[in-house]
Amino acid sequence: MTDRKTITRKILLALAVCAVLLFCLFPFVQILSTSLKHQFDWGNPSLIPIKFNLEAYKELLGITKAEEPVVPETVKALLDNPLLTEEKKEEILNRYRSTGDIFPYPRYFLNSLLLSASAASVSLLLAVFGAYSFSRLRFKGRKIVQRGVLFTYMIGGVMLMVPLYQLGVKTGLAKSTWGSLLSLLLIYIIQTLPVSLYMLGNYFRSIPYSIEEAAVMDGCSRLGVIYLVILPLSAPMLMTVFIYCFIIAWNDYLFASIFLKQFHDFYTIPLGLQSLFVSKNAIWDRIMSASVLTLVPVLLCFSFAMRHLTGGLSEGGLKE
Amino acid sequence: MANLKLRNISKSFGDIEVLHNINMEAKEREFVVLVGPSGCGKTTTLRLIAGLEDASSGEVIINDRVVNMVEPHHRNIAMVFQNYALYPHKNVKENIIFSLKRTGAPKELIDTRLEKASRLLELQDLLHRKPAQLSGGQKQRVAMGRAIVRDADLFLFDEPLSNLDAKLRHQMRSEIRRVHREYGTTSIYVTHDQLEAMTLGDRVVVMRDGRIEQQGSPMDIYLKPSNIFVATFIGAPSMNMLDARLFRDYVELEGRKIPLGKRIEEDLIRIPGEGKEVKLGIRPDFFQDEHYSDGRTTLSRIEDVKIDLVEPLGFDIEIDSKVGTQPLKARLDIRTSVKEGENINLCFDMDRAHFFDINTEENLFVLPLKP
Repeated sequence: MTDRKTITRKILLALAVCAVLLFCLFPFVQILSTSLKHQFDWGNPSLIPIKFNLEAYKELLGITKAEEPVVPETVKALLDNPLLTEEKKEEILNRYRSTGDIFPYPRYFLNSLLLSASAASVSLLLAVFGAYSFSRLRFKGRKIVQRGVLFTYMIGGVMLMVPLYQLGVKTGLAKSTWGSLLSLLLIYIIQTLPVSLYMLGNYFRSIPYSIEEAAVMDGCSRLGVIYLVILPLSAPMLMTVFIYCFIIAWNDYLFASIFLKQFHDFYTIPLGLQSLFVSKNAIWDRIMSASVLTLVPVLLCFSFAMRHLTGGLSEGGLKE
Repeated sequence: MANLKLRNISKSFGDIEVLHNINMEAKEREFVVLVGPSGCGKTTTLRLIAGLEDASSGEVIINDRVVNMVEPHHRNIAMVFQNYALYPHKNVKENIIFSLKRTGAPKELIDTRLEKASRLLELQDLLHRKPAQLSGGQKQRVAMGRAIVRDADLFLFDEPLSNLDAKLRHQMRSEIRRVHREYGTTSIYVTHDQLEAMTLGDRVVVMRDGRIEQQGSPMDIYLKPSNIFVATFIGAPSMNMLDARLFRDYVELEGRKIPLGKRIEEDLIRIPGEGKEVKLGIRPDFFQDEHYSDGRTTLSRIEDVKIDLVEPLGFDIEIDSKVGTQPLKARLDIRTSVKEGENINLCFDMDRAHFFDINTEENLFVLPLKP
């Protein structure tokens, strides 16, 4: 009797899990499927393309060259004018090659990667020291600082968007490319720091203090303790925090859209995607393949993180 | 090798003073045991020596140098923690040589020290294991190894055996003794186990409520406890404390008049008044069954002790009994054939009995050994 009950329960559980999975994964499957379909296939509700089409991917990754611009006949006639300099000709042609047509995926990818990785690295570095001081040191105002940091997390980005940009303009940072990038970097760091501090702080607290004291007795200074004991023991959590920060920066559209609006060369992927969506070249397979290519690093990050998230590194050194 | 002095050490956590004016000393090569019940401040004292806590007042002096302001990692002290505190991410070898590597010791030195320590502690086969793969006793040995490879001035042990089972504890106790004999490093050892204190210490410091109650050699403390607390804390089973009245040449216990020995008679001059109420303290081990006493006529007797419980322990027999209404424990010769419910006459040497003041709880005949 009980056996049958457990079997039924197991089946029900499996069905429920499948339903949830299906619900969560469907949009992704849809994206992948559309990115691989030919134009004639778009209306087809089947998830499996009738004919696989990798053109969009090739184009995005720069494997095939973009076609020559289609120039109307009248303009062509204009171009034949011998009085026109080569420079002018090129300028006219460029109008038909509007940047919206091209989606330089590798460039955007590199922009996003560099920006996200640097933001995540700096945020992690600051979080290590901040979280250590919150979890181990006793100083006046510790609680207030600790809560204050979390407080900044409560205010949504949209509310801060305008003041932050104004700040950027006032300080003159928003004028230059590098200044804008720096502002963006700072924003990402500040945005991710509260949660990083919180996550790392809690993890540090779970490391028994006596291990640190043992290291001190073995001749380590405070910094030595952090470097030689705390960091190796926190490797899984450091990885998690890094990935968290990375993904926040990687996915950000809001701040990038205001600070990088005028600097096309420094567009990040979400910004590029958005400009692709609104360009006249917004073809479904391109949009979707760009989305897939944007998702891939995030998925890679997660699968990598999962492998390292086994935790429990500090087990075994103590008698509980 | 170093000597250690604590001078007028006090320590408060917030408003609560946990150590009151501690004065103690460990000479070179000495093994000093701090013993006392939980919360008596012995671990705090140890942490003060290590530098893991700061004294509120007073001085910690190592090798005639005040080290209050010296950071723990500059004090050259090795410490064995109660919970071992091994580095979980390092294997046994890395754990042991961690401190040597920190000081940049040459590889040959590291190798010889590691070799010696692992041989002494029988860790040769475990060097590449992680702490999680070790048993409690092995972890404890690694923690010891971590301390002994260093050329430390002082070894501090914070209840290192309290997490082990009885048999292992016994084994590790001898091991610690052996390590100390081999290295001779001045050691401070904290424990709540009076047996460890007795067996390990060259000198024992008994603490209670943040004060030192008595310090001296283990036998001094066992034979001449300065007050009721020390008398009952040291020694197992603990000393019998019987309500009695002290007269010039006898002591009255539940209506029985027991003549005093010679030494006590001489000491009596210090006691004012006749018929003073006292606590008579006699260790259970010092009793003998009248039939099997060694025949000395100088022995005093407590007659008609009623036996409640007989517990044979192998080598000897422990009895729970009553003198009048007062409970009395005695450890008797294995030959004693007493039964529960019977009466027995117990003999003891009056010179080994103690008289404690019922108000101050001080031992009336032992000059307090407190400094």
